[in-house]
Amino acid sequence: MTTLRTPDPPVAPAAAARVRRRDPRGGRRRKSQPEAFAFLTPWLLGAVALTVGPMVVSLYLSFTDYDMFTTPKWIGFGNFAHMFTGDDRYLQSVKVTLIYVLVSVPLKLTVSLLVAMLLNTRRGANGFYRAAFYAPSLLGASVAAALVWRALFMGGGPVNEVLASFGWHTPSWVDDPQFSLASIVLLGVWQFGAPMVIFLAGLKQIPAELHEAAAIDGAGALRRFRHITLPMLSPVIFFNLVMEAIHAFQAFTPAFVIGGGRGGPADADLFYTLYLFEVGFQDFRMGYASAMAWVLLVVIAIVTAIVFRTAKLWVFYDDAESTGGRK
Amino acid sequence: MGRTTERRTRGRGVAALAVVVPLLLTGVAACGSDSGGGGGDATITFVWWGSDGRANLTKKAVELFQQKNPNIKVQTSFSAYAAYWEKLATQTAGGKPPDVLNVDSRYLAEYGGRNVLADLNSGAGKAISLADVNPELAATGVYQGKRYAVPWAQNTPAMIYDPAAFTAAGADPAKGMSWDQYAETARKVGTAGPARGVTDFGILDTTLEIWLRQQGKQFYTPEGKLGFTGDDLRRYWQLASRFRDTQAASPADVTASYNTSPEQSPLGKKLTASEFAYDNLLPAYQKANGKPLNVAPYPSGANGDTGQYRRPSMFLSVSARSQQQAAAAKLVDFLINDPEVGKIVGTDRGLAPNLKVRAQLAATATGNDKTLYDYEAALEPKLGAAPPVPPKGAGAIQKLLQRTYEEVAFGRMSVDDAVNRFMTEAQKGLS
Repeated sequence: MTTLRTPDPPVAPAAAARVRRRDPRGGRRRKSQPEAFAFLTPWLLGAVALTVGPMVVSLYLSFTDYDMFTTPKWIGFGNFAHMFTGDDRYLQSVKVTLIYVLVSVPLKLTVSLLVAMLLNTRRGANGFYRAAFYAPSLLGASVAAALVWRALFMGGGPVNEVLASFGWHTPSWVDDPQFSLASIVLLGVWQFGAPMVIFLAGLKQIPAELHEAAAIDGAGALRRFRHITLPMLSPVIFFNLVMEAIHAFQAFTPAFVIGGGRGGPADADLFYTLYLFEVGFQDFRMGYASAMAWVLLVVIAIVTAIVFRTAKLWVFYDDAESTGGRK
Repeated sequence: MGRTTERRTRGRGVAALAVVVPLLLTGVAACGSDSGGGGGDATITFVWWGSDGRANLTKKAVELFQQKNPNIKVQTSFSAYAAYWEKLATQTAGGKPPDVLNVDSRYLAEYGGRNVLADLNSGAGKAISLADVNPELAATGVYQGKRYAVPWAQNTPAMIYDPAAFTAAGADPAKGMSWDQYAETARKVGTAGPARGVTDFGILDTTLEIWLRQQGKQFYTPEGKLGFTGDDLRRYWQLASRFRDTQAASPADVTASYNTSPEQSPLGKKLTASEFAYDNLLPAYQKANGKPLNVAPYPSGANGDTGQYRRPSMFLSVSARSQQQAAAAKLVDFLINDPEVGKIVGTDRGLAPNLKVRAQLAATATGNDKTLYDYEAALEPKLGAAPPVPPKGAGAIQKLLQRTYEEVAFGRMSVDDAVNRFMTEAQKGLS
């Protein structure tokens, strides 16, 4: 009842306000609502049945002991307490995920920015290179890319061979606890296309006059990068940082495939989501898995909030420029 | 604004809803209504794990069943072992488990103990005949007094090996050997290279179980607790470490790549010359490895006992929630007792559970099939009864054993520390 009466927040209030302003009689706003709901029904059904419903259920399950077959048993905060006091593998999964986020996100952003700057020149064949560099990202979180990665980095695979020809004999990367996570980080970094395209668009927005003026004043390439490119690009960096951090926290497929579906050698690739999946679908502890999912959601929300808070300190919005430019 | 307008417009909205909602519903209904139907006809679903090759054989057997029972339609599907269990758990939780399903002894308690599987000693399950099945083998499907499953095939733990490599090292595993002889031969194979003598067995719960049985102990007690002490595990891992340190066993990164499917296992990839597995996997290993391989009994303990047993290689069960119990039981009975099915599926899952069918097939077997029949016939007098059904959580124990031993193999943990971790976590997991 309540869900149906509450209008869809992002669009409806603004649209309704506009209608009210144009039509002083005020009748139209009401009139448009039922039809709007009728046409929104497919979306509403989907959102309620496939997103909101399961979320509410999983919140309930996170306070229960539930094995998927018998009725859930209420245990209060037991699941949450167990995570931080009695489960070494949980802590291992947190550690692996944090390392992955802290290493792969800055690396990916750096690489994508560098490539974007390389491509942001007026030389020929740029279209080709842009497409070529973007291609790996189209594969996204695909199983195929991860399988290829596993084949590349496994014992006797191409990476082993090439390194061996330089005299560096390494074990099977994907099967060694020391190297396994690194191979997954590399896969993540290799798929830098999405942030790169956004960086490229951001770079094109920076007025050439700024660079020219600075160059005339004697600023070198590095100085111009630090004092013009970086500040002008900071909103784009901010956006990419938030998106990539959220993605990295949720990484699953590469770890699942490269780690052989079980968290890799000696749990070296036990990503948070992977452990959650294992607990829920292999060990039949769905209550605990639900609790883990909620902790992850809260952590991602907190991290995102922190990034947003710090944004004031380093993100530069050239308001005059942007509003002026949109005329 | 007038009240009438409001009422009228809302009415129109409701009308719009009335149009949209049924549209959606019919769309949904159209997708999910091809089963059922009256007149004694039944549609049942049947799932199993395994490779494409196995699926082709099984589908042929199912076709034969449908020809003989035209009023029963069987919808089949299959997946790889790990994916199979994930899918089954989801389907079961969703209240739509398949009617006939493939079950492993490792998960029998998990599903049987939670009332997912039907008790075949009562109701429609009584139609399944076990008269010609070895009683000890048949008993393996009983958990806490209820028959949740019937054995689909019989296999035996075995060592699969490359005879050429072992002959070159001066030994014939098929004649049987002690663990010391095995260690020495495997060392010779490993140092001669390129393949090591054996896939490191420190990660294998099945090998640990056999090794314990050789000393009169067991992996799980009938009450579902661990049947061995930390001291036993320490000695087992010290044995494995001796193999590893002398290059008899595979290096840690090869061991970590171990996968239960023969194609992706170290022996299948020619990285080792022997591996502990089950005798019915010989053809699959041979295909992956490319060289002629053979099966041998396990190395024996101090008293010459190999600890091997008549193992239900896999089970067939009927879902407790199945609406078509009779049809499902009929399919199960057909799959384990029909002589023609025996001919179609051969030894892919192991030997036929029905002893009469097995005797017929053994008489005419050739090639790898003959190797298997001969191997099991030679062992038969020595085979012991299968251990009790493993408790809930046995699947997790196997993974725990694997990853704690990996810590040892990679030199990140001492055997003592790994034993402590295993015992603590295992006892937590089984309580």
